[in-house]
Amino acid sequence: MKTISFVLNGKKTSIEVDDNETLLGALRERLGITSVKEGCGIGECGTCTVLVDDEPHYSCLTLASKANGRDIKTVEYLSSSGVLHPLQEAFIKSGAVQCGYCTPGMLLCAYSLLLKNADPDARDIKEAISGNLCRCTGYIQIEEAIKNAAEICKCDR
Amino acid sequence: MLPKFASVIAKTREEALSWLSSLENPRIIAGGTDLMVRMRAGKQYSRVIDVAGVPELLTMTETDGRLSVGSAMTHARLSTSEPIIRNARSLAMACGLVGSPQIRNMGTIGGNLANASPAADSIPPLLIHDAVLVLESKETRRRVPLEEVIVAPYVTSIDRKELLGSVEINPLRGYREGYRRVAKRATWAISRLGVAFAIREDKGRFTDVKLAIGSCTPMPFRPKKVEDLLKGAEKNEAIITEAIRMALEEIKLISGIRPSYAYKLPVLKGILEEVLRG
Ligand SMILES: Cc1cc2nc3c(=O)[nH]c(=O)nc-3n(C[C@H](O)[C@H](O)[C@H](O)COP(=O)(O)OP(=O)(O)OC[C@H]3O[C@@H](n4cnc5c(N)ncnc54)[C@H](O)[C@@H]3O)c2cc1C
Ligand code: FES
Ligand code: FES
Repeated sequence: MKTISFVLNGKKTSIEVDDNETLLGALRERLGITSVKEGCGIGECGTCTVLVDDEPHYSCLTLASKANGRDIKTVEYLSSSGVLHPLQEAFIKSGAVQCGYCTPGMLLCAYSLLLKNADPDARDIKEAISGNLCRCTGYIQIEEAIKNAAEICKCDR
Repeated sequence: MLPKFASVIAKTREEALSWLSSLENPRIIAGGTDLMVRMRAGKQYSRVIDVAGVPELLTMTETDGRLSVGSAMTHARLSTSEPIIRNARSLAMACGLVGSPQIRNMGTIGGNLANASPAADSIPPLLIHDAVLVLESKETRRRVPLEEVIVAPYVTSIDRKELLGSVEINPLRGYREGYRRVAKRATWAISRLGVAFAIREDKGRFTDVKLAIGSCTPMPFRPKKVEDLLKGAEKNEAIITEAIRMALEEIKLISGIRPSYAYKLPVLKGILEEVLRG
């Protein structure tokens, strides 16, 4: 067992984890954050995506001990002020959520993209979500939502 | 659930080397994108040493005109690093094509080399840059050319007690350089073919040609005879045709005839034509 301390969605957090535990397991089983999902468990679907220091990582392939000292964000962060983030509003408006399984990962990748690039073009958006599968929407609505959210975020600046 | 193991997290190179020396049957983990998949499939490792955060493995330095790349640098960092884009464009391009954005944020160049897949994207670019690996243990330090480190598919001469510290490469300036990859789709697909090239021309002649081909033979390789043929030769269709014929012959000599070659060799021919014609 190891004690790890990290910032989770803006709050300092300390937990005990097993040496062979994944970050995905720790978030779901120890911290109750079930928005982070296991689809494939081998890096091929993206539903387990979390942001580590604002960059998308697959939590299924990340040892929990690697979170020590890092900033970890899950989709809960986006609405932590109590209102939905413009990205979340845009996903709803564009019909970018169907079964919702891929949504947390998609939102986190989109959020990470907008942090680095406030004015992404269609290629940048496709690239940013290229590590996340969606079996429902066909991606077009998701790309549209991210584009619309980027416009709104730009106006908010 | 992963099989049980005990892990330690190295904070310095010294610490990593001490643990490698004192722990029985140690296994290094960096990004984990190869190792975690293997463990998930049931592979057991008793002791795991995490080196991803070791500062000495995360730096890039330039000495005597050679570039030294820390083994724990990620594909994401290398693909956007200014010195890499300037000195080793094919490597920046190859790292930018690995897996998916998440895999590139996690996976390291050291892991890619130590895993030694025939389809590892960083290997062909590193071959044309005459990469030398710095392998260290508590007592020893050796510098070994990449060609000699990979001894068979997924097998290297890196000892279990050794740490791959850095990869040294020769910068190439004034070359037309790049990496071409063929895969079933752009993301999440293992390369079916990867070609790294660096070509210098002057007044209608090839003054230098470096080529490396991955995913075709058990280990990525440099067709040195082809390079020698082209070096100094007048650039024309006849010499390009002959060079490609030689390259394809060499592949068949190394691997025999494989079912995949019905597809791969014509595609490789097309890529080499484009690359050499420029
Ligand atoms: C979904 C998916 C897609 C992928 N796509 C690609 C692709 O397109 N192209 C490609 O080339 N690869 C691909 N890979 C493979 C993998 O991501 C790369 O090989 C990556 O570079 C491995 O690095 P790592 O740091 O994650 O290695 P790890 O998994 O941490 O380690 C891999 C091996 O290297 C050893 N090792 C690591 N660091 C050191 C060191 N410093 N010294 C000594 N030994 C060391 C480990 O002990 C282990 O045996 C993919 C993997 C996945 C899961
Ligand atoms: S569960 Fe992690 S990528 Fe599929
Ligand atoms: S909405 Fe169902 S997988 Fe994307």
